[in-house]
Amino acid sequence: MNAFFAALWAEALKAYRSRVIGLSVAVATILPLVDGMFMLILKNPDRAKQMGLIGAKAQLVAGTATWPNFYYVLVMTGIAAAILFDFLAMWTFGREFSDHTVKELLALPTPRGTIVAAKFVLLAVWTQALALWIFGLGLVIGNAVDIPGGSAHLNLISFGIFMSVAFLNLLLVPWVGYIASLGRGYLPSMSWIIFTLASAQLLQVMGWGEWYPWAVPALVATIAGPQGGSIGVHSLVVVLVACVTGLAATFAWWRSADQAR
Amino acid sequence: MELAIETHGLSKNYGPVHAVDSIDLRVGRGEIYGFLGLNGAGKTTTIRALLGMIRPSVGSVRVLGQAVGPNGRGPWRNVGHMVERPSAYPELSVRENLEVARRLHGLSDRDAVSRVIERLGLTHDADRKAGALSTGNLQRLGLARALLHEPELVILDEPASGLDPAGVVEIRELLAGLARGKGVTVFMSSHILTEVDRLATRIGIIHKGRLIEELEAKQMEELRSRRLEIQARDLEAAQRALVQAGFAVKDGENALLLNEERAIDAPDEVATLLVNAGSPPTRLVVEQEDLEAYFLRLTGGKS
Repeated sequence: MNAFFAALWAEALKAYRSRVIGLSVAVATILPLVDGMFMLILKNPDRAKQMGLIGAKAQLVAGTATWPNFYYVLVMTGIAAAILFDFLAMWTFGREFSDHTVKELLALPTPRGTIVAAKFVLLAVWTQALALWIFGLGLVIGNAVDIPGGSAHLNLISFGIFMSVAFLNLLLVPWVGYIASLGRGYLPSMSWIIFTLASAQLLQVMGWGEWYPWAVPALVATIAGPQGGSIGVHSLVVVLVACVTGLAATFAWWRSADQAR
Repeated sequence: MELAIETHGLSKNYGPVHAVDSIDLRVGRGEIYGFLGLNGAGKTTTIRALLGMIRPSVGSVRVLGQAVGPNGRGPWRNVGHMVERPSAYPELSVRENLEVARRLHGLSDRDAVSRVIERLGLTHDADRKAGALSTGNLQRLGLARALLHEPELVILDEPASGLDPAGVVEIRELLAGLARGKGVTVFMSSHILTEVDRLATRIGIIHKGRLIEELEAKQMEELRSRRLEIQARDLEAAQRALVQAGFAVKDGENALLLNEERAIDAPDEVATLLVNAGSPPTRLVVEQEDLEAYFLRLTGGKS
């Protein structure tokens, strides 16, 4: 256990001292701010028209300035948060190869599996804290904009859906860690992120989204939308399978792959 | 002899390429083992295999009496290492980089970091970010990390690389002191042959993945070929006189070379012979091949 906490401390220090933590908070701050800006524009349609493109876009996404719409847009930003989570995983694993520091982690009394576990735990804490920050800030911004139609019940339901999307996105992060390790750097995992985004869109359009792990968070997000909806257990199972296989592949790779570079 | 490093038939293949081919290494405790080889000879692959970073295709590795196996198993609490160019987390300071290493080594002694910083002359740069360090100081940080936990065995890939001449001497004395004073085993590869020559108690030469020569420092002295180098105003006349006296004369660069023992052991007689022949030597010196020339001769490189 001591070895795990030592590894977690090391990973936390690396993240804390990096610029990535500041960037991640900045991105997480922008998302609810953009949502609030949409609501502000929708509250004043005349001003929205004057603003041209931005106003038109805001109306397309949210329609009218109400709390249900505000939350719907906020939950949909969970998709953007998924990209942010993937980038954090790419950095956490890929930087060891880009900085050539991986060789300092292989012949240590702290087992390699413990180091990998610490990286995933840090990612879990980091991403879910960012999700809480996005939702909390959204709540503050929504109140500041003073949009109508809010209730404690709506707040609770929206929070549940938002955090579910964030958690499902977290479950898909291990594959990014694996690809960053397998590809020994950032580029392969970046390609992977683009591939999963594009394929999720395609399969959702084709009607197979509920069976494709990387399309499931977006499907859950639509529950918060005007049409509502539900998600089958099989969709959650495929996400869980993706998580377990991603974790297993990453641990196996770190334990046994040749580190010849 | 109690062994710190032992390999049996260690081989590593990458497809058709034999990076390391049937290497049998036996390094005793307290030895300073110099591992020499040209670029691509297999030095780093061997070092990575010793540290369990790559799995041998064939053969086995034992370090400090323990088998180095899959899943990073090995006696790493007692082994310090530096593989290839040193690396560090650029956004962390020197002290923080070493603090990360201290914790991952499970070292409870909090003063270990300060001690090794002082020992490696990094005090002035202790709070500087590693990304801003010079190559030499980054090398010192790598060595500090390898020595932080006072290991029984240090495995170093090019430890003097990037250091200035004073730093090279400093590190040489540090490693020699560790071996002689504390019985630490040092396994080091180097391309600075004179460094290995001065420091190592035993030398292994690897070429094209095979360990082609392994010798004690004393053997090294004996094995190096000696020769008598002669310069004279009339080299052709001097050569004729020597050939007439039965010497096998080789042409050197503006000099004549004699490899025979009777010439090397009695240069005074050779001088007398040349004086009597009317071609007195202007320079007469017994030269001994250095490690570099010996190494290049052995590996077929140009000397």
